[in-house]
Amino acid sequence: MNPVFMALVAIVPIAAGAVTAAFAMRLISVTALDGMTRQPEIAPQLFTAMLIAMALVEALCIYTLVVTLVIAGKIVV
Amino acid sequence: MALGDVWAVTPTGLVVLVNALIVSVVLVALGAFLAHGKLTSDVPEGRQLFGEFAIGFFIKKAREMSDGHDRAKVVGVVTPFLGTFFFFILMCNLIVLIPIPIVNRPPTSFYSVTLALALSAVIGNIVLAAYFKGGLGALKHLFWPNPMQWVSEFTDVLSLSLRLFGNIGGEYMTLVLVAAVVPVGIPLILHVLGLIPSFVQALVFTLLIASFLASAIHHEAPKQKKAKRSWFHRKRSEPVAQS
Repeated sequence: MNPVFMALVAIVPIAAGAVTAAFAMRLISVTALDGMTRQPEIAPQLFTAMLIAMALVEALCIYTLVVTLVIAGKIVV
Repeated sequence: MALGDVWAVTPTGLVVLVNALIVSVVLVALGAFLAHGKLTSDVPEGRQLFGEFAIGFFIKKAREMSDGHDRAKVVGVVTPFLGTFFFFILMCNLIVLIPIPIVNRPPTSFYSVTLALALSAVIGNIVLAAYFKGGLGALKHLFWPNPMQWVSEFTDVLSLSLRLFGNIGGEYMTLVLVAAVVPVGIPLILHVLGLIPSFVQALVFTLLIASFLASAIHHEAPKQKKAKRSWFHRKRSEPVAQS
């Protein structure tokens, strides 16, 4: 198959995944920071919960990265 | 691929094994060093203080999930389980800082290692649940309240292993590609930035295992009848207005 087409097929999913994951992470971090500034005494608990939520979002982005790596390994120039 | 090839010794497999062994030896030596000498139950100092600081977080996590169980038993079993995963993954991630060419390849940047870690974590969760609730209780957790609950165990393996591999492997790949272009200066900045994910990913792996374990060994309290409350014996929850 055309290597340029294959490269596009590999790039588009990771770009879309990164953009959507960035928006989700923005929501998580803004909400967590809001809570921390309102109530600094529960900041450690909020921080752990934020880390877990971010990891769950990040996993989706990592899946697209893995798919991209698999596709990129098949590009023959 | 023939089955015999699985056991064949390849250079890559050797790097993984040797690096993981180095990490294990360093961790065991560190643990022996910290636990060596007089231990007091008073205010600790020196090595004991450092060791207690290192495992304090996991003791807290184990205490949180010990509702309805024997607390000392849960803390004694769960703390080493969580702490081993955390320190092993942390050391595996931080091995990239050693300035020796072959030794500094982090074992967690190979998918086989992270898959093994995630598999042992999930199987360990099931075994621990069987230890605390009995085999039937652990089996019930796989099929109740959702009959397809056991599928989520497999997806947990997939997500845990892929997350760790993607983060650390991607970071290492970036480092190698950048160092090939600009060998001086820039890799130092990347190393400093790489400290954050290597710590956070170890923490996230451990926290996720802890939350899965907490839901697996969660003890359902028997339903209690609501006490009848007559309206005139009701507690006042609102402050009485001052006249």
